[in-house]
Amino acid sequence: MPSSGRHRLTRRERAERRAAIAFVTPAVVTLAALTAAPALWVFWLSLRERLPVFGIDRFVGGAHYAFFATDPRFWSALRVTGTFTLVSVAIELVLGVAVALALRGQRIGRRTALALLLLAWALPGVVTARVFEWLYQPVAGLVNVVLGAQLNWLGDPSLALPALIAADVWRTMPFVALFCYARLLTIPPAVYEAASVDGAGAVATLRFVTLPMLAPVLLVTMLFRTLDALRAFDIMYVLTGGGPAGMTETLTVYAYRSLFQTLRLGFGSALGVVVFALVMLVAAAYLGVLRRQDRAA
Amino acid sequence: MRPIAAALAALLLLAGCSERASTDAPPTIVFKHARMFGDDPVPRLVAAFQAKHPGVRVATEALGSGADEQHQFFVINLEGAGGRGRGPGFDVMMLDVIWVPEFARAGWLLDLTAALAPGELDAHFPAAADAARWNGRVWALPWNFNAGVLYYRADLLASHDLPVPRTDEALARAVATVRDTHPKLDGYVWQGKQYEGLTCNLLEALWAHDTSLLGPDGAVLPDGARAEAGFARLRGWIERGISPAWVSAADEELTRRAFGDGRALFLRNWFYAMDLFEAEDSAVRGRVGIAPLPRARDGVAAPGATGGSLLGISRATRHPAAAIAFARYLASEEAQRVLAGGSVLPTRRALYHDPALLAKRPHLPRFHDIALAARPRPVTPAYLMLSTGVQPEASAALVGVKTPARAVADARRQLGYALRGLR
Amino acid sequence: MSRRHALVDVAVLAALLLYATPFLWQVLTSFKPEAELLRVPPLWPSRLTLAHYEVVFTQSTVPIALWNSLATGVMTTLLACALGVPAAFALATLPVPAAGGLMLAIVASTAFPQIATVSPLYLLMRELGLRDTWTAVVLADASFALPFVIWLMTRFMREVPKALSEAAALDGCGRIGTLVRIHLPLTAPGLASVALLTFLFAWNEFLFAFTFTATEASRTVPVALALFPGVFEVPWGDIAAASILASIPPVVIVIGFQRWLVRGLLAGSLTE
Repeated sequence: MPSSGRHRLTRRERAERRAAIAFVTPAVVTLAALTAAPALWVFWLSLRERLPVFGIDRFVGGAHYAFFATDPRFWSALRVTGTFTLVSVAIELVLGVAVALALRGQRIGRRTALALLLLAWALPGVVTARVFEWLYQPVAGLVNVVLGAQLNWLGDPSLALPALIAADVWRTMPFVALFCYARLLTIPPAVYEAASVDGAGAVATLRFVTLPMLAPVLLVTMLFRTLDALRAFDIMYVLTGGGPAGMTETLTVYAYRSLFQTLRLGFGSALGVVVFALVMLVAAAYLGVLRRQDRAA
Repeated sequence: MRPIAAALAALLLLAGCSERASTDAPPTIVFKHARMFGDDPVPRLVAAFQAKHPGVRVATEALGSGADEQHQFFVINLEGAGGRGRGPGFDVMMLDVIWVPEFARAGWLLDLTAALAPGELDAHFPAAADAARWNGRVWALPWNFNAGVLYYRADLLASHDLPVPRTDEALARAVATVRDTHPKLDGYVWQGKQYEGLTCNLLEALWAHDTSLLGPDGAVLPDGARAEAGFARLRGWIERGISPAWVSAADEELTRRAFGDGRALFLRNWFYAMDLFEAEDSAVRGRVGIAPLPRARDGVAAPGATGGSLLGISRATRHPAAAIAFARYLASEEAQRVLAGGSVLPTRRALYHDPALLAKRPHLPRFHDIALAARPRPVTPAYLMLSTGVQPEASAALVGVKTPARAVADARRQLGYALRGLR
Repeated sequence: MSRRHALVDVAVLAALLLYATPFLWQVLTSFKPEAELLRVPPLWPSRLTLAHYEVVFTQSTVPIALWNSLATGVMTTLLACALGVPAAFALATLPVPAAGGLMLAIVASTAFPQIATVSPLYLLMRELGLRDTWTAVVLADASFALPFVIWLMTRFMREVPKALSEAAALDGCGRIGTLVRIHLPLTAPGLASVALLTFLFAWNEFLFAFTFTATEASRTVPVALALFPGVFEVPWGDIAAASILASIPPVVIVIGFQRWLVRGLLAGSLTE
């Protein structure tokens, strides 16, 4: 007789379970070997001093992390990463919503509009970097020609980070716009009719009807975009290489240079772990907010 | 008897077969080199070598153009080759002068000491020969040479009755004087972009202040005050307007073009630029002079940094004899003479006074003297770590983001940590 | 909502055309004669030339890189789908032990930064003797894309009505049969979207490709573009031509496969 809460699996259920395991195993093994194991391994590496050129491979505990605490270059990279992420995401959200609103009522050439918009998002980051490198060229770059200026966008320490952010916003805003646009399309016209019947003007409708309905999508998009910005590598590495004077050197660039320019595998791994921790922290925070939102809804 | 004889015959045949098989296939050695300016001499040299050594074939592969990229390529291939015993895929490598100690320490280079005749390196510049040695052994063969030198517009100096500047002050005065009549002229251009070129310029500034990046006991920037003076010298040129602001993002080619188009009065660059200034279509043809770099302090020499490349052989090569023969051929007088005919400068001293070469390049003896005084960058396996660690600090000081004092302090901290416990 | 004037639509299209200017400028640059590149204004060239494309095709490593990217992109997509589709099917329809925890782990791993896993992967590839091979890049890219594939395909698979799979089971279909005959056909559009997104990701991917491919023979296009050589000065025209070539698949996808692309992107946005 089955005891409370438990029951013996039928033969069929056992077969299903075996099948389930069989179907899932290849993927799980791959992920375990190539994603999970490296995630643990990098932490282990970060506790070591590993310099293949010198044949050094020894345990140093938290020495790298302790060094970071007083390393100006680390704090600069952290600052740059933070600034890049916050400013980039903020601008993307505002522009993305604006573009989505503009596209909402589009009747003519909707596919063309989306194609023009998504092009920026779909291009490889390296192409975007090269495109903007040419746009920012001091003598013949389109930006300077249009502005009638002679600014050294990528060489001036005060201009390089804004220039980088502009390039990143260009390629990621379409992602936000698309999500908001899709959400806007699901809002039934009846809602707007009701609002206008209530005497709401355009701004009020935006504030009290449209934006609240966009909020959940905005939150999810903000999560994706923040994580992507924290992890970004290709565009800054190719566009500026982290210069000038480290003004665009994010943690990812600092880590990559340490790892593969000078083969400091322990030190570079520690920087990678910091990025990892940052990303997981942000993800956890967002998910907490999302879950609270869900429960409230 | 018959079966034994047959077996013996078969064995002999087999032995003969395998021997023939190993000597029949011509060994192909792969030579990785960076593309050279102008007329690439490598194909000619390879053809000449193959003519002399009919049993060997040489395949050449070009590297990417940036030194950093080339270094990463070598590191990833040589380091990665250690994992499974699979060779890196090349035999002879063109190595930048600063990589030799690092690669030797890592065990990626074949020790050439035994393969060379005693005194074989004496024909080369001492600085070039020293770059080939580390820890008492020889790890590469000197191939081409470079040193930092001051280029000046002889015509402009002459028309303003100015002598060739020997000191920083004289240089500043010259720039100010010539600017009176040529206000748009850039004064002194050099390489300030955040890359290896900046380290060269920084080292020259430090040496001019009688200090260096590494002290004799391995301490980083041992003399703080003098190091600050070195950093401040670079910043000072920009601050005082002697150098244009764009120098902070300039590399060799950008500055060479500026000077070669007649837009600058002084240029710090390597030897190779002279050929381009003397080219048929050059705007400054016949108007360029060369001099040692200016001094910053009385009584303290201001040497230029040495550059250039050497030929190293991968320790995992399957054809060491052929590879060594090829490398020796490339470093030989005959081959270096061909190089010298192009825009690449040889490491063999005698060629700098060779009448045939002088006919085309009369400035060679001048280079020879400057080369003798040139100083190598710190010869240590940790050089790349040093350089990539100090570059951001130097760059920050150049553009005024950090004071020289802060830059020195930060460089010391960063590099001190990176170098701790290293031999 | 009141209808919008057609002029507003045109204005929006014009604005978006302006938004695409960076890319369009690169296209124009790739056809501009060398001598006119640095002489701006005028913006429009006096004539169009194919010289830069010629240089790229005859003197650079980009053609080989295009082939490498195509091959690794297709292999990555095949591998990720081959591993991910059965897993998604199981998670959607079968009693996978600890399914909740597994799904959470998979979703969490989509957040892993590449910079953190690249050093262990480098050591792993080195140990396996896979340095500078397509295999290394494909394995790294596929494992990075796999969580997304599983996540999205699970969603699509869950939408297949249970009644259909039960009917199939009654008909004597095994699990694999159900997958192949019911779920795959019904989720084919979703799978197409996921495959497209995976290919696009693999084509654009830079960090792993840069680290695991060292020689020109195995480099993918983003790496070749990043390392595009310039002996004297930066060859802006040639780089522009190479950039355009590198952009062909993304452009084709955005124009020709837009619906699939959008479907794939939006599928991941639905909050659970």
